[in-house]
Amino acid sequence: MNIYEIRNVEVALGRKKVLKGIDLDVRKGEIMALVGPSGSGKTTLLRCLNRLIDPDSGSIRFEGKDIRSIDPVELRRSAVLVPQESIMLDGTVENNILYGPRIAGASRKVDVAGCLEDAGLPPKMSGREASRLSGGEKKRVALARALALEPRVLLLDEPTVGVDPRKVDQVERTILQFSERRRLTVVWVTHDVPQAMRVSTRIANLKDGKVREVKETSEFEWEGVY
Amino acid sequence: MTGIPYTPEEGALVLAGASVLLIVVLLISVWKKMGIGREFVVGLLMGGAQLFGIAVLLTFLFRFDDDVRIWFPPVIVLIGLMAVIGGRRSAKRASGMPGAVRITTPAIIAGAAVSLTVLALSRAMPLKPQFIVPLAGMAFGNSMTICSLALDRLVREFEMNRAAIETRLSLGASSKQAMEDLSRRCVRAALIPTIDRLKTLGIIFIPGAMAGLLIAGTDPLVAAEYQLIVYLMIVGGGIVTSLIVAVLSRSRFFNENEQVRDWI
Repeated sequence: MNIYEIRNVEVALGRKKVLKGIDLDVRKGEIMALVGPSGSGKTTLLRCLNRLIDPDSGSIRFEGKDIRSIDPVELRRSAVLVPQESIMLDGTVENNILYGPRIAGASRKVDVAGCLEDAGLPPKMSGREASRLSGGEKKRVALARALALEPRVLLLDEPTVGVDPRKVDQVERTILQFSERRRLTVVWVTHDVPQAMRVSTRIANLKDGKVREVKETSEFEWEGVY
Repeated sequence: MTGIPYTPEEGALVLAGASVLLIVVLLISVWKKMGIGREFVVGLLMGGAQLFGIAVLLTFLFRFDDDVRIWFPPVIVLIGLMAVIGGRRSAKRASGMPGAVRITTPAIIAGAAVSLTVLALSRAMPLKPQFIVPLAGMAFGNSMTICSLALDRLVREFEMNRAAIETRLSLGASSKQAMEDLSRRCVRAALIPTIDRLKTLGIIFIPGAMAGLLIAGTDPLVAAEYQLIVYLMIVGGGIVTSLIVAVLSRSRFFNENEQVRDWI
């Protein structure tokens, strides 16, 4: 079953056409990697999936519904985008994790420790000032913050950029583990093809605003990407 | 007693004397290539013409201040002009924001209207042109300054914090929630000069109304009391203006789908 059905999506940013007719399905529960060179439209497509921007033409269906008929705020709570730049909100790590549920008016108790552990951080970190964390820690807090919303889809934009190269595999493992445990669908944007091959179930190769090919990861040949 | 120690004829000579100083400044600015000479002259001529223009109008209005049918229409036109000019001038602070004048004009009108209504209800502003025109000038001027500061700050802060705002949107915040902190910071920043002036009232800053009353020979205690009443009303109006700017500008930063607009 497809969670996203993207048909002939076109987006122009200013005068530049960034997406030129994207067709792509994302299956429920899979990890779909979007690869391609800089400027190929990966991030723009990701931003369309939670309605940070809307396509100029074409359609996107989420769980069978036209995305334009879904309240953008509700959609963003179900399909959470974790941007490349991990910006911490004011206050402690706990404040950051509780931000989403709090503004959503959630009455359920948020398992802050569980979110932190899932993101590979010790629960005792919850009281620390978020702005003073290292780059890698901020990446993980951004993931934990997204998990606190209990989303169905995670939209990850280069989640390991800026992470210490020796710890990249740890972050990858963390994401794979919590995705499996929480049965999340993940759309993972990366320019790093070997990473896409390590983490994903399928890979979509974008070039110049179009999907060049979509393949099962085991069948993907990365020489054609750049 | 008018408070001014010379006749209008002598005043013309004093004005010419005062202009010598300005001419010296102008020559220095040309000599040092400061690039403000033209603007300075234009500003001086415009300011002078406007001041004398309003003086002529006030002379006419004061002559008929017992006949509301005569003075009311021009006063309303004058207040309308203050609102339109203030709104347009303030909108120029929002570089690139489309339709900024539709934020600034209502915000300035609302702020000034609050000040003037309270002043009228408290009888600090008798309904005569002698009081209405200068107090409206102060109220509109102050609201315009606060409006410009708030809007300028909002646009700059939004540009600088766009990524943080989109992070909040991505976590399911509405545009209102995403801008909450930023709006609060900008409202506060816009009011800082007013609050600072309030703190230094009478020490390093004697405001226009009190200065005018003192020059006209009013008892300093009465002048101070009146100034404080006027100032507090104007501060209240300024707060209203800045809050309205923060609320109305949201629709310029975000579209109806809670997305950041293209211009920013």
